[in-house]
Amino acid sequence: MTEQGPVLELDGISASYGSVQALDDVSLVAHAGEVIGLVGDNGAGKSTLIKIISGVQSPDSGRVVVDGEERHWRSPHDAMQAGIETLYQDSSLAPHLSIGSNIFLGREIRRGGLLGRLGFLDQRSMERKALEELENVGVTVPLSRRTVSQLSGGQRQAVAIGRAVLWSQHVIVLDEPTNHLGARQSQEVLHVIRRARERGLCVIFVSHTLPHVIEVTDRIVVLRLGRVVRDAPTSQYTVESLLATITGLVAAPGS
Amino acid sequence: MSDAGGMPRVRPREDRVPWARRVRATIANQQFVLFVVLVALLVFFGSQNSRFFTTAEFTNLIIDFCGLILLAVAETYVIISGGIDLSVGSTVAISGVVGAFAMETLASHHVGEVAILLVGTVVCAGIGGAVGVLNAVLITKANLVPFVATLVTLSAGAGMALVFSRGADVGSNPAAISWSATGAWIFTWESMIVIAITIVLSLVLHFTAYGRYNFAIGSNAFAARVAGIDVRRHVASVYVVAGVLAGLTGMFFYIRLGAGAPTSGIGDELNAIAAVVIGGVSLVGGVGVMTGTILGAMILTVVTDGLIFINIQPTWNQVVVGAIIALAVVLQSLRPGRQGASA
Repeated sequence: MTEQGPVLELDGISASYGSVQALDDVSLVAHAGEVIGLVGDNGAGKSTLIKIISGVQSPDSGRVVVDGEERHWRSPHDAMQAGIETLYQDSSLAPHLSIGSNIFLGREIRRGGLLGRLGFLDQRSMERKALEELENVGVTVPLSRRTVSQLSGGQRQAVAIGRAVLWSQHVIVLDEPTNHLGARQSQEVLHVIRRARERGLCVIFVSHTLPHVIEVTDRIVVLRLGRVVRDAPTSQYTVESLLATITGLVAAPGS
Repeated sequence: MSDAGGMPRVRPREDRVPWARRVRATIANQQFVLFVVLVALLVFFGSQNSRFFTTAEFTNLIIDFCGLILLAVAETYVIISGGIDLSVGSTVAISGVVGAFAMETLASHHVGEVAILLVGTVVCAGIGGAVGVLNAVLITKANLVPFVATLVTLSAGAGMALVFSRGADVGSNPAAISWSATGAWIFTWESMIVIAITIVLSLVLHFTAYGRYNFAIGSNAFAARVAGIDVRRHVASVYVVAGVLAGLTGMFFYIRLGAGAPTSGIGDELNAIAAVVIGGVSLVGGVGVMTGTILGAMILTVVTDGLIFINIQPTWNQVVVGAIIALAVVLQSLRPGRQGASA
């Protein structure tokens, strides 16, 4: 990490679906080694913002700057190449493929020589490296030859996050990664997020589970009806005050 | 499981009930069961009729197998990618008819036989590819579901084959027929070509990036897309490949008949799909092995031909095929992997 500037900068992002204004002049600055919580009620614009960061959708106006360079994604692939990995709520894994195949999906290791040039894959290297690399980011899984459908929900999520951490150069966007997970599995996910921060990545953590957000983030950005209503260090929030900011209601005094 | 050594945690659990597990694993290994069924069928028909185990009959079996396998390979690719192609049978007919017209024209200009067959092959593959492109456009641009899109081309293709040929066989090429009878041992030359194509496409499906993407898209198209795979382009290409394979099958039937028949291949899409289902390919996509499809096609071929040898009316054929499909599907539901996935 040589640069001091932000790794991701959103500047005046607006997006609308027909007459519905999903995002209205949203700005966000994210630095390396920072975990940012992105919270808001349903319809606050979280999903749209994630889609814009990850290249699934283009903003109507506003700038996306990654590592000091303005970007215009045409596809998720563009965002990936710029170092942004996104983990979507609906799993980003192919259940019928092995763990190793999933880790390397879209980035397969090919064999050497002529066979490689014909598109033949080096499956053995992929399976081996997948286990090694997952362990590096704090994810322990059984045999990487197993298909993802044979894993538990928590293991699947760990593999999916491990994959994102592994390939990301700058930013990881995690959409509800602890949803449907038990307490212990959620802790494992939070652990991987901390490991990602140690690796100097910026993590954007989107969640409805406010205790998790407060536990793991450095800064929390609250969206309401397409606007940023608060952007402050996590230490300045409590679960109650965060909830009040999200809903737009002031917490009842003394509660 | 040679590289399992590093993770001993999972092993003890699998060893706890080795006997029951092994039995289940063997039953679950559909490839093995299919192979046993195939051998049993061959032994049965051979025991009923001594003429079954002859070079001539095996040559016929392989020719019949080759008339089906390219369609089954096409269907394997398409179904694993999460789609279905109902049009392959009609595409055999239309490409065979159009190819036959082209070859007739060349023959009337006294072009050499080898050149005629080569050009015919290219024309048939091209017509098949064109149908595939049409399917691809309907599916990836007009966003029709594959079932409907290929139902359109199924109907249109079969109709056009009848219109162009006026319902009769096109051309007469005795040289093609006599060439189709040559070869080595039980393999005719055209069978060898079909088998070679099948082997290449099996390797592509299981060992290349293209094949990997096919599984990934069928398993979770969203995951494939966010992994940077151009899903639309891949899906389109799969239908074009299927069309080309159907076109080549049209040429295969032309060589056997020495003519392009508007009835060739009609309805064969269902046999191809049957072979794929028997072979264990999941109709919802993402799962399948090409050797399963090959064994499925072999079983269908042996049953179809064998019934004739034991003097059962060919009309029973469909019933037997239906029973085999039912059996194969029941077998698949016994797979431990399925239950493990939901646990």
